Amino acid sequence: MSFSVRQVRAPRPLRALAAVLLAGALLAGCSTFSDEGRAQYERGQGENPDATGTAEATESAKPEPPYDVRPLLDPKKKYLGVAADGAPARMTAVQDFAKRAGKKPNLIEFYSAWGDQYEQQLVQNSWDYGAVAFIAWEPFKTSLKDIASGRQDAYIREYAQSVADLNLPVAISFGHEMNGFWYPWGTKKATAAQFTAAYKHIHDIFDDEGATQVIWVWSPNVTHPMPNVKLKPFWPGDDYVDWVGVIGYYGATGPNTYKTLYGPTMTEIRGFTKKPFIIAETAAQAGERKPADIESLFQGTADRDDVIGFVWFNFDKETDWRINSGPLSEKTFKKQAANPDFGFDVTKP
Amino acid sequence: MSDRTTPTWADEPEVHDPYGYAQQYGDGGHGPAPQDRRQEQRESLRQYAQQAPTRPQAQQAHAPAGHQAGDYQPGWFTETGSWRFDVQGRTSEYTDQQAYDTFAPFDPYASYTAVEPGPAAPAAAEPEPRKPGYTLPAVPESSWAVDTRRSKLLGRGVLLFILLVQAGLSLRLTGTAFQDEALYVAAGHYELANLLHGTKLPVDFAAYFSGHPKLYPVLAGAVDSYFGLTGVRVVSLLFMLGATALLYALTRRLFNLRAALGAAALFSVLQSTIVLGNFATYDAAAIFLLALSAWAVVRTDRMKAFAVLLAAPPAALAFGVKYASGLYLPTLVVLAVITAHRHRGIRALGRGVVLGTGIAALLGIGYYFSGPLGGISSTTTDRAKGTDTAATMLQHSAEWGGLVFLAALGGTIAYVLRGRMGEMPWIEGETPGRVRRAALGLVLTGTALLAPAYQIHLHTEISLYKHVGFGLFFAAPLAGLGMARLVGPHFRHPQLGILLYVATLVFGMVQAQRAYSFPDSTQMTAYLSTVVDRKGTYLAEEQEVPAYYLRDKTNWTQWQNTYFMDYRGKDGKQYTGPDAFRQAVRDGKFDAIVMHGDVSPVTYQAVKEGLKNNSHYRLAAVFPYTTSSGEHAYRIWVKR
Repeated sequence: MSFSVRQVRAPRPLRALAAVLLAGALLAGCSTFSDEGRAQYERGQGENPDATGTAEATESAKPEPPYDVRPLLDPKKKYLGVAADGAPARMTAVQDFAKRAGKKPNLIEFYSAWGDQYEQQLVQNSWDYGAVAFIAWEPFKTSLKDIASGRQDAYIREYAQSVADLNLPVAISFGHEMNGFWYPWGTKKATAAQFTAAYKHIHDIFDDEGATQVIWVWSPNVTHPMPNVKLKPFWPGDDYVDWVGVIGYYGATGPNTYKTLYGPTMTEIRGFTKKPFIIAETAAQAGERKPADIESLFQGTADRDDVIGFVWFNFDKETDWRINSGPLSEKTFKKQAANPDFGFDVTKP
Repeated sequence: MSDRTTPTWADEPEVHDPYGYAQQYGDGGHGPAPQDRRQEQRESLRQYAQQAPTRPQAQQAHAPAGHQAGDYQPGWFTETGSWRFDVQGRTSEYTDQQAYDTFAPFDPYASYTAVEPGPAAPAAAEPEPRKPGYTLPAVPESSWAVDTRRSKLLGRGVLLFILLVQAGLSLRLTGTAFQDEALYVAAGHYELANLLHGTKLPVDFAAYFSGHPKLYPVLAGAVDSYFGLTGVRVVSLLFMLGATALLYALTRRLFNLRAALGAAALFSVLQSTIVLGNFATYDAAAIFLLALSAWAVVRTDRMKAFAVLLAAPPAALAFGVKYASGLYLPTLVVLAVITAHRHRGIRALGRGVVLGTGIAALLGIGYYFSGPLGGISSTTTDRAKGTDTAATMLQHSAEWGGLVFLAALGGTIAYVLRGRMGEMPWIEGETPGRVRRAALGLVLTGTALLAPAYQIHLHTEISLYKHVGFGLFFAAPLAGLGMARLVGPHFRHPQLGILLYVATLVFGMVQAQRAYSFPDSTQMTAYLSTVVDRKGTYLAEEQEVPAYYLRDKTNWTQWQNTYFMDYRGKDGKQYTGPDAFRQAVRDGKFDAIVMHGDVSPVTYQAVKEGLKNNSHYRLAAVFPYTTSSGEHAYRIWVKR
C-alpha cells in the first residue's frame, strides 16, 4: 500500500527552520522586547518598572486637587497669629490665649528642627482648630552650604512629599533671622549667597515634588541690632517668597514704636520687593509700657495695608512675653483684638 | 522483533517505501508495470463512475458515438483517464472553476478489480431502472478544499472570533483624550455649530488639518455630543472592525478562504490596527473607506468596466477624510487593472482609467465646493521637514509591520511560483497568469512600503506608527496567502501559522500599549476647571486637550499653543518663537500656564526662564503622570 500524494516540495525541516530563524532574527533585532522596551511597556500600563509591587500604581491616582493657597497669601483681613507652649500638639495653650484675647487665632506658629519629619498631625491640628500652621524650620544640624549643594536632598524631598500628601496649606519660614549673628545659619557662620542658594534649592525641590501648598516666608530680623547687614543680598527673589516675615520684639530697650521698630526694615525691604509683610514673631516685654506696645502693634498693623498680620510669641521664656503677664496688658490685647480687621476664617478668606 | 508493532515487512529495506514511490513511478519492480498501473487506475475510475447513482448522464463510460474525442461531453472520461463533470448547473457558484477540469479522486486504497467484459447487449436486457427512494446530492470531490456553503459559514465563524480578539485588544487600551483626538473632536463641535447655526469658526481649521474638517470632525463632534469620547472611539473601533471584515471578503475573492482568514487574523493584531481601533482620529475612518473601495474594486472584477465606479466614492471620500490616503489611490487604480486582467485582457486598462477618472472627477467636484484647503500642503504634501533619520524610521517600520510584510513577501513569491497550493495532486500543471500574479503580489506588497518611504523622504516620523497600517492593509491579503502557504497543504504545518499569528499578536499588543500612552489629563483638567473663565488667556502644552475638555467654560481661542507665537511685548518690541513665550510670561500675559515639557521642550525652557524672578505667577499644582517614555508631570502656574 502506498500514498500517492505528490512529493513534498519544500522539505519540512527547512521550512520550519526558516520560520524560526525569521522570528528569532526579528525578536533579536528590534527593541520591542529589549529591557528598555519592557520598561516602556510597563510604564505604558501605568506601572513603575522599578517598583517591586503594584500598590504604588493605585496610590498615585490622587483625586484631590492641591490646596489653592492663593487666597491666603494676601487676605483682606489680618492674621491674628500665636506661638504658644505645646501648641499645636496640645491646644490648651492656644485655647487659653483665645479666651484671654477674646478671639481665636488663625495662624499658629511652631518650630521644627532640621531633620524632623514634617509634622502632619500638628498641621492637621491647627487646621482643625481653624488656623493655618506656620513652621519655623531651623537648620541647626546642618549647614546652608550642604543644603545648597544637595547633600540634604533626600530629607527635603521626603519633607516635601509629606507636605504634598497632607495637602493642607502651611507657611514655612526657613532659616529665620538669617541677618542676625546668633544662629548657626546667621551671618557669623554663613554668607548671604549660601542662604539664598539653600533657600532656592529647598523651594525648587518642593516645586519638583508638587508641594504647592506651602506659603513661603522669608523672615529677617529687624535691622536695628545689626544696622550694617544689608537685607537685599539675602533676598531669594520674588518667585521664591510669598510673605516677608519681619521679626521684631518690643523690648525694654531699643525702639518701641511700630514706626521705629519695623519702619526702617520695611522701608529697606520695599526697595527690592512688594511682597506682603507679616510680623512673623513679636511680643512685648513685661513692663509698664507693655499695654502701649500692644496697642502700637495692633494699630500699626491695622494702618498698613501691606502688613497682613502678626504672630504673638506667647511664651514665658527669658522674660514673660505672654499677653497675660499683667491684667492691663491682657485687657488691652482683648480690646485691640476686638478690631474686626483681625482674624478671619482661613477656609473662606 | 516480536514485541514491535511495526510490520515486519518494514524491516526489509527493499520493501520499505512509505511514500510508495516504487509503485507510483514503477521503478521498484514490485508493483505492476507502469502500463498496467495506468490501466488499473482507469478501471478504478470507471468503476467509481459507474457506481455513482446520482449522475444519470454520467452512466456512459465511453464517448457516445458520433462525437469526436476531445469534444466536450458532460460526464465522461478524458484521454488521460480522468473524469469530467457536467458543469451545467452542477459546479459551485464560483464561476472561475469553469476554467478548470475537475477530476475524480484517485483512491489509493482501492484494490484492483478486474472488469468483466460486459455482455453484448446488457442494456437491452435490463428493464427500466427503478427510481431510487432518495438521492444524494452531488458531492464535488474537492469540496473540502474550495469554498462551499459550509466552509463559508466556518470562515465567518472564525472571522467573528478574529474580530472579537481585535475588539478586545483595542478596548484594553485606556486613556484620556490624546492631543489629536481632542483637536478633531473639539473642532467637530465648532464645525457642527457652524453648519447648524452658522456660528463663526474660532479658527480656520481647514488651513492646518490633515483631513477635511467638515467630514470626520463633524461626525466625531456629533457622536461626542451624545456618547462622549468613548462613543467616538467606539466608532473608530467599528471602522477598524469593518476594515478587517472587508479585508476578509476581498482576500477571499482574490485568493481563497484560508488566505482570507490569515489576512484578517494578521491585520487584526497589528499595532496600528489595535491603536486606531480606540483612537478618535480620522485614520480609522480613512482606512475603512480605503478598504471599502478596495473591496468594491475586487468585488466588481467580473462585472462591466463601469461597475468599478462603485469604488470611486469611498476612495474619494477617504482622501477627503484624510489627505494622506491619497498615497493609496494609485494602488486602487492598479488593483482595478490587475483584477480585471483575467477576463478582459488588454482592455483591463480601461477599468483602471474608469476608476481613476471617477476618483479624480469626484475629488475635483469636492474641491470646487470646499474652497481652499491649506491643510493639504502644510500637513501632507509639504510638511515641515523633520530630523528623523531613515535608519530609525526603517527600524521602527520593521518592528511595526515587518512580520506581516515578510509574510506578504513570502506569499507573493509562493503565489508567483504557483497559483494554487496543490492540495489536489491530480490537478497538475501550470496555472496561467504568472505575470498577472506577480503584478498583483508586487503592487499589494509594495504598497506597504509607501508610507515609510514617503515619510523617510520627509524626514519625519510623526504619525508613522499609524500610517504603516494603511499600507499593511493592502499587503495583508498576500500576508494571509503567505500564511496559508506556510501552513501548507492539508494543514501540514499549523504550528507555523500559529507561530506567525502569535508573534504578530505579541508584537502588536506590546507596541500598541507603548504607542497608546499619553498624559493622563484627568487631574489637570479638573484643576484647570476651577481656574479658567471666559476671559482669560491660557498657555498650555497640548492646548487642545484642556480646550476640548473645558469647551463649555472657555473658547478655543483662549488657549495659546506652545508651538508658534508672535507677541508684542510691553516694551513695544516684537517677539517670535521661544522669545515670544519668554517675554509673554515675563509680562504676565497668561492667566494660567500648563506645561510638561514633553512636547515642546524648547518652549518649556523659555517659559521657565520667563518665570525666573517673576512675581506674576505661582506654581499652583503638579500632577505627575507616567507614559511609556517615562515619568512626567503637568505643572500649572497661575497668576498670584
